[in-house]
Amino acid sequence: MTAGSGGAAAIVDVLALIGAGDRDALKKLYDSTSAKLFGVILRILIDRGEAEDVLQEVYITVWRKAAEFDASRASPITWLATIARNRAIDRLRARGSRPTTTLDLAADVVEPSPGADTLIDSANDARRVGAALDRLDPRHAAIIRSAYYEGLTYETLAEREGVPVGTLKSWVRRGLIRMRGEFAA
Amino acid sequence: MSETMPPIDERDDDAMLAMDFALGALDGPAFRAAELRLRRDPAFAADVKRWQNELGPLSAAIVPVAAPAGAWTRIEGELFRGPIAVVAPSSIATRALSLWRGLALGASAVAALALALLIGRPGTPAATAPPALLAASMATTDAAKTILITATYDAARGTVVLLPAAKDASRGLTPELWIIVGQDKPRSLGLIDLRDPQAHVVPAALRGKLAGGATLAISLEPAGGSPTGTPTGPVVATGTLATI
Repeated sequence: MTAGSGGAAAIVDVLALIGAGDRDALKKLYDSTSAKLFGVILRILIDRGEAEDVLQEVYITVWRKAAEFDASRASPITWLATIARNRAIDRLRARGSRPTTTLDLAADVVEPSPGADTLIDSANDARRVGAALDRLDPRHAAIIRSAYYEGLTYETLAEREGVPVGTLKSWVRRGLIRMRGEFAA
Repeated sequence: MSETMPPIDERDDDAMLAMDFALGALDGPAFRAAELRLRRDPAFAADVKRWQNELGPLSAAIVPVAAPAGAWTRIEGELFRGPIAVVAPSSIATRALSLWRGLALGASAVAALALALLIGRPGTPAATAPPALLAASMATTDAAKTILITATYDAARGTVVLLPAAKDASRGLTPELWIIVGQDKPRSLGLIDLRDPQAHVVPAALRGKLAGGATLAISLEPAGGSPTGTPTGPVVATGTLATI
């Protein structure tokens, strides 16, 4: 259960209103979540113009799909962030490559600061995942983080690490399986 | 290790696919195929959801960045202020269906909607390089020639907006969209859905083929799409692209 934070519980209520067609509720959701989702999208796409296009797609999707959101099966933040990530990854794959000229901007937005914002499911969950990652081989953990935050494919990651794709996949998959094992423990 | 740990095995392809998808590491075609499978395969969807929930807290470490000024206005404009408002989620399916059906009747209505959806940006002068728009009403291949779906191609974005105009005809199979130019063999534009309006991204290498006179076709394929690279299942709809 992740409804511990007031932020998440409030978003569940707002999503229910949006599901019923309440336009003001969509604006309210936008005001409280757009910076977070823009951060998620921008980290993947780097390009602000493209990131804005995707942000629009995300809220249009949310408007249409809010009625399908089930608070008993996912936290609202994870649900929203998942839509944002998937739309951003879709756009990234369609483009074929990441721009390499705007790394300064990337450096501005990727400062990891766990727990720094209130818009998270629960600080505990974040710490738990972070701790589980930290118990993996540091190189493997870094690759998993790159895949998740930057939306990079196994092929790109393998090229970057200078290892065969099979090796890289195996590192990531075993790492994630180990993480799940720790969650279940 | 606890014995409550779910059985997960690196040799289980479906379990690995769910993990790869939730992580976001699949390449384009595999990513799209997995996304479509989510809608049809509840067990796979549940597996993906579980990974998404487990990895979700990683997003907490992403620093918020203020969205560009004006982004909300554009969202509001697209949803609520266009010539035709996008159907609210609370509306019943039949109403949505009749709307799409009505749209299929006139190319000008399709154009209006496409403009509202794609380039309707209040505050942006319409004169700034309006992209060429191509549309095709895709009709069934039987004698009835029922309009199944309308397709509008936006060259500026490289996307085809697909608006279903009739009941889902996919019969549990996977619809695949093809482009056919002259006598060339069909080239796959990817897997689509016949149930929901969608913006389908055209592979960059094939965008040049979408031009007036080219034919769009939809075939029904096994899960994951045509195994051969050309249509293997029945062709359920075709239409010719024309500038609007």
